[in-house]
Amino acid sequence: MTEQGETGEAITILLVEDDAPTCWRLHDALVKAGYEVRSAGTLAEARAGLGERAPRVLLTDLRLPDGHGVELIRETRQRFPDTEIMVISALGDEESVISAITVGATGYLLKDAFPTDIATTVRDLVAGHSPISASIARFIVRRTQGSAQNAAEPPPGPALNTARLTPREIDILWGIAKGFSYAEIASHLGLSRQTVPGHIKNIYRKLEVHTRSEAVFEAVQQGLIKL
Amino acid sequence: MSEIAAKAPVKPALRRLLVSRLVPYLLLQALIVVATVLGLRLLQPSDPDDFALSEFSLREDGVARPVTLPHFTSSRYSLADPPLYTGAFSFRRDDVASGWSVFLPRFSNAVEVAINGVVILDSRRDTNANRPDRNTPQIASIPSSLLREGANEITVRLLVWGPLKGFLDTVYVGPDAALRPAYETRTLMFVTLPVVFSAWQSILAVILAIMWLMRRREPVYGVLAVAMVLGVVQAFAPPPVPPVNTSRLAAVLLASAPIESALVVVFGVLFFGWRWPRYGMLLFAPGLVVFGVGLIAGPPLPRILFLLLGIPTVGLCLLLMACVTAAAVVRRQDAASFTLGCAVTIVLICWVHDMLSVFEIVTNERIFLSRLSYSAMLVAIGAGLTWRFARALNQVDSFADQLVTRVREAEERLKASFAREEERARAAALANERTRLMRDLHDGLGGQLISIVALSERGHEGATITDAARAALKDLRLVIDSMDDIGGDLMLALGSWRERATAQLRPHDIALDWHVAMPQGLPLHPELRPWHVIQIVRILDEAVTNAVKHAEARRIAVTIETVDEGQGPYGVIKVADDGKGFANGSVPVGSGGATDASQTARGLRNMRSRAARCGAMLDLSSDSSGTRVRLQLPQVFPDSDAAVG
Repeated sequence: MTEQGETGEAITILLVEDDAPTCWRLHDALVKAGYEVRSAGTLAEARAGLGERAPRVLLTDLRLPDGHGVELIRETRQRFPDTEIMVISALGDEESVISAITVGATGYLLKDAFPTDIATTVRDLVAGHSPISASIARFIVRRTQGSAQNAAEPPPGPALNTARLTPREIDILWGIAKGFSYAEIASHLGLSRQTVPGHIKNIYRKLEVHTRSEAVFEAVQQGLIKL
Repeated sequence: MSEIAAKAPVKPALRRLLVSRLVPYLLLQALIVVATVLGLRLLQPSDPDDFALSEFSLREDGVARPVTLPHFTSSRYSLADPPLYTGAFSFRRDDVASGWSVFLPRFSNAVEVAINGVVILDSRRDTNANRPDRNTPQIASIPSSLLREGANEITVRLLVWGPLKGFLDTVYVGPDAALRPAYETRTLMFVTLPVVFSAWQSILAVILAIMWLMRRREPVYGVLAVAMVLGVVQAFAPPPVPPVNTSRLAAVLLASAPIESALVVVFGVLFFGWRWPRYGMLLFAPGLVVFGVGLIAGPPLPRILFLLLGIPTVGLCLLLMACVTAAAVVRRQDAASFTLGCAVTIVLICWVHDMLSVFEIVTNERIFLSRLSYSAMLVAIGAGLTWRFARALNQVDSFADQLVTRVREAEERLKASFAREEERARAAALANERTRLMRDLHDGLGGQLISIVALSERGHEGATITDAARAALKDLRLVIDSMDDIGGDLMLALGSWRERATAQLRPHDIALDWHVAMPQGLPLHPELRPWHVIQIVRILDEAVTNAVKHAEARRIAVTIETVDEGQGPYGVIKVADDGKGFANGSVPVGSGGATDASQTARGLRNMRSRAARCGAMLDLSSDSSGTRVRLQLPQVFPDSDAAVG
């Protein structure tokens, strides 16, 4: 049983994780689900792995022995826009997840997730369904409130520009933060259940800061940097 | 006893104080009396004695007799047949280059001077000369055509209107150049100076009146302004000259002196901070009587009344003023009271001097000084008050500066203390948070890690250790999650919990039914703190864990609703499973063993104590159809942990 993309080829995953047992665990779960998995333990190895062929999915830890996963995510996002990127996190805390989202990641995978959940999450991701957790949604919506109330003082935590989110998208995030399912959110907001994942993907895209200069521009817009 | 003993030494102390302060002051006043008397002697204007004419023949009531000037005649109320002084002087045309003049230094009330039968001077035309209180001199040049070589005759008709006696000082006849300087000196002292003082008084009156208008609380300025206005009116209004009968004006002029002096006493009392007693108004009575009589009756009655009532009133007021200032000196010992006291003493001396002169006890040239010294005193008081006002303004300025400095200092101090307080509060919050975190970690993560260690040491493999480790991770996430600011919306914490619970239940194939009765879920609790959230989430965790571990449930339903029975809304969270249940506190049905039972019992105890700590009510029922946990949230979460310690 092999998971296949639209072209019929096996879906390739680049797994970047420096902790060997965790790496094995994830690797096993993904291979078992039929994915073609390449592993890398360091940033250098990961770059080498990227050089050969663009993976369909990149799963990366943030703290790597020779650098930060954010660098890798940014590079991958620029070189291979079609590659789906997820961050591997021990706790799913905002600090790591949001910083990954702003450079192009669209979700996170918990290191201790059950093998079936790992496979499901990756499958959804390839199908265009970016997962989002209640705590991340909560962080984003609270940031939209915070930026509206007090733009002068940047709130604690990673920088995040929520200015481009539409009210509908913020409503969806509220629903997720409060633990409603997609179906419940869709019925509350009068949407079709199928469109909710698309909205979430849009949210991720809007939170992404594409280039360094854009990052500076956003920062100025938000008042984080004073020129 | 003790009170009497305490009172006794007060009186001698008071007396000592009185003596130590009053005696030096009185000595000072005595010194001033001496100085004033000497000063008056020294200031006596000198007259050109070479040209004095003293030997006159007085024709009065048809009788002629020789008199020597200065001379007093009896008081009279009729202008008919006035006393006529006839004298002679010799004139030699060779002697002089300039013309000759007649100089009369002092007379009362008016004179008509004729040389060789031709009238050359009538003092009634000069309003200043008609004031008996002004000591106005008169000079008149004698047309040279009137003068004869050798003996010439001078006649002085002295017009007297009572009640004062008529007075004619030595007459001087001689070259104008020799007489004029003496005349000028007297004019300067007795005519110009009073006018200058009066002008000054009028300006001060305006200033004081403005001050009083702006500061109604201080009537002292108003009183002084009124006194000054009266003085100015008295000084500039032309006095009526008999036979012209303008009694009303006379009333005003005559009444002014006693009223002014009473006003000055009022001023003194108010200035030194005493209350003006109601009976003090009696002091105005003589002045008002003179005024009233002046309005009704024609002369000379008002003038007689003035002499009988007005002048003694002035003296009385001066005496009162002297007492007031002396008392002020004893009490305050300040420059203002000393200065005013000395001024009053000088005026009093001048008044006594005038009285002696009127009663001819001291023979002098009948120069009245009261008015002049009084005007000078008023001007001095006015100047003093203005000075005080300016000084008060300066004090206000410096006070404002001080205030600004003080406020700035206070602000700095407040800032510092605020910063300190903030620091302390932050430290306290940090300490509280640390305590809470420690307890939370101890409750969950610590225990689970220890259990992992124990299991590993006993050589356990697989599922048990995995479960313990997963529980530890879950708890770690819960602790981290609970620290996030959720703005009092418990739903945000429950959203995360749903995710974790779903992930936990998925491997066991247990479905989690999530039902939120209303879109907003639970009421907002602004007072909600992380430790409340942890307790509630742990209760829910415990319920789910029980359902998984012990009840073999297939389905867990979580219902979240807001109940409002008219006493404010409160939240209710229900967790129900379709497991086999357990009898409360006893061994679960289909026993898993004693360990299981004790774990369940401990779990229930924990749930209850957690609910109690955050003010919630926990209902638990269990039977063979399943277990139902109902957690009723409080309307307001308690501020402090009820189960601390």
